[in-house]
Amino acid sequence: MRVDPNLSALLNIGIQGTEQALNTAVQQVATGQRVSVPSDDPAAAAENLQSLAESANVDQYTKNGDAVLSQAQMADSALSNVVSELNQAITLGTQGADGSMTSENRAAIATQVQSILSQVVSQANTTSNGVSLFAGTAATVPAFASDSTSPTGYSYQGNSGVNSTAVGDNLQVNVNVPGDQIFTNANGNVLGSLSQLISALGSGTSTDIGDAVAGVKSALTNVSQQRVIYAGVVNQINAQESYLSQETISLTSQQQSLTGVDMSTAVSNLTQAQIAHSTILAAAAKVLPTSLLDYLN
Amino acid sequence: MIGLNSSLSIATEALGAQTAALEVANNNIANANTPGYSRQVVSLSSAASIQNGTTVDEGVSYQGFTSVRDTVLDMAINAATSDQGSLTAQNTLLTQINSAFSGTTTGIGASLSTLFSDLSALSTTPSDSSARQTVLSDANALVDAFQQGAAALSNASSAANQQVSSAVAQVNELSQQIAALNGQIASAGANGSDGGALTDQRDELTTQLAQLLGVSTTQTGGTPTLTTTNGSPLVIGDSSYQLQVTTAADGTTHVLDGQGNDITDELTGGTIGGAITARDNTIPALSQQLDALASQFASAMNNAQAAGYDLNGNPGAAMFTVPATGSAAAGITVALTNGSQIAASSDGSTGSSGNVTTLLAVQSTNLPSAANPTDSYANLVGNIGFAGSQASSGLTATTSSLQQLTSQQGSESGVSIDEETSNLIRYQQAYTASARVISTINDMYTVLMNMSLGES
Repeated sequence: MRVDPNLSALLNIGIQGTEQALNTAVQQVATGQRVSVPSDDPAAAAENLQSLAESANVDQYTKNGDAVLSQAQMADSALSNVVSELNQAITLGTQGADGSMTSENRAAIATQVQSILSQVVSQANTTSNGVSLFAGTAATVPAFASDSTSPTGYSYQGNSGVNSTAVGDNLQVNVNVPGDQIFTNANGNVLGSLSQLISALGSGTSTDIGDAVAGVKSALTNVSQQRVIYAGVVNQINAQESYLSQETISLTSQQQSLTGVDMSTAVSNLTQAQIAHSTILAAAAKVLPTSLLDYLN
Repeated sequence: MIGLNSSLSIATEALGAQTAALEVANNNIANANTPGYSRQVVSLSSAASIQNGTTVDEGVSYQGFTSVRDTVLDMAINAATSDQGSLTAQNTLLTQINSAFSGTTTGIGASLSTLFSDLSALSTTPSDSSARQTVLSDANALVDAFQQGAAALSNASSAANQQVSSAVAQVNELSQQIAALNGQIASAGANGSDGGALTDQRDELTTQLAQLLGVSTTQTGGTPTLTTTNGSPLVIGDSSYQLQVTTAADGTTHVLDGQGNDITDELTGGTIGGAITARDNTIPALSQQLDALASQFASAMNNAQAAGYDLNGNPGAAMFTVPATGSAAAGITVALTNGSQIAASSDGSTGSSGNVTTLLAVQSTNLPSAANPTDSYANLVGNIGFAGSQASSGLTATTSSLQQLTSQQGSESGVSIDEETSNLIRYQQAYTASARVISTINDMYTVLMNMSLGES
């Protein structure tokens, strides 16, 4: 049986093959990637894209969570101020209700309550980056504005809209509580009860003042209840963010296993490719120069 | 009757025969590296005649030489070469497309993600004009990515068109050369000599032709016929039939046979077949998928926009414009001009982000193509990858089977320097021996002459 005498062609094919393997191995070690174009592993490349999109979503959920968290904390701290101001108003009102109080004393107390009212209104008009936190979704207007026709002297400018933000694939959290629900709620009207207290202190009897203080108390209860909503949002986001950070880790490791290369495997592939390549080069060096002519002289 | 004269003539014959054999070996060595060359073997036979009922040996007779070739193997090599040419062309085109769609931090997939992320961010700050502007620039980036994707596909198609027309020009040139060689071989055959090197040249050209286009070779009544695999003639005997190219209405390059019939769809194999397959089957399927994604995504986003209100309280306008005809991915543009036009509000109030949820839902809602935008794109990339890996693994397989065939052909027809060297020595020794016979006979004549001189 005759064999193909053209050894150099065979060797060239072999050298090209091992060179290709060496190339691939070096590329994998250098980039740490097994899949650099989709044709390297179509299924993994497609899955990787889906995983990357999910990663981007998770990142954004985390950012959304942070944004909502900062707004909720801002709102919560405003409401915490309102609570202490209302407590102060209750103390003042209770003092004013005392029958031994003179009308001058009551007028002085009324002035203090008046300043509490304006502080509360300024808390209610808290803005974050120019957006009113308590105006519902009417972002660009202050939540409450002076209004002489209103019994409280203020009227709600906002609306009852509530924005929600996605912090998970199927998890939306509410970003805001409309101001009228907190400050002019029928179950406890902060602005109304404070105004009532002021007018009771100005003209009313101890009984009137006592009633007004009771009104402020129920307003305080309502504000505390509304604060719970923000606290709930904060808790929810904290819990969700720790879930999201785990999710990020598992997605990253998914992407790594889809398209990345295991370094120890890659390095051992590289070593193998090097050995194969030097072996075939050595074979070529041994075989190619040999011919019958070498032995004839 | 044995005599010195007849011995001398046997030796002289032998000298000639060994010289001829040396010449063949010499020619083999000279062509050891000539592509397509088939080694030649000398054919010698012993000459004898019967005289008066007795066999009389008359030495050696030189019968010429023959080329060692296996036509069945040649045909197998041509077929494998056509496959290889076709897959090489497809692989080149699909590699281009694969690199265009290999981005994980750029491209359509990443742009889609960024658009939805920044839209999602808008849900916490719906009235922030810079957040809105970011979404708008994301939309522009996405449109650019769609256009680049479409351009990558259409560039590959135009590259295929160029491949077809330049390969057709080469085919025409090769078939002219083959026809000319057929003429020479026929006249050489008529003179009773082996076509030898001419046949080798023709076979080599035929293999080159097979690289460009699938061909089949037949012998009809002694006339060699070369046709495309669908039967359109390229060379019959010493006349060649030129293919023509023409540009169709859709801009694709079509191939016409010698009679002007459009044979584009019937051509298989070789660079031409591969380029046509990629251009007419593989790439259009991918383009269609990309266009469907672009147009369905655009209309889903536009519907979501229409469900809400922009920053100024106006009903949401369409975000994207898709051309009514032609490629949606190539022609998609952003219709909005200002970030304030993004319909984040569900009730018309400036601070509402209620409609962001609707816009975001596009990301996870199935398009009419039965997958959401992210999955549709991942599918498309998967298909691009599959087409690419199919072509490249097919190419690897064909290349290795072609190598086996070539090595088989080499074992039949390849020149071995060692073999020729040992032949040279053999012929040289025989030549030396024959020469020695002549000088011996000469000595004998001298002895004979001297004997007669001595007698006188």
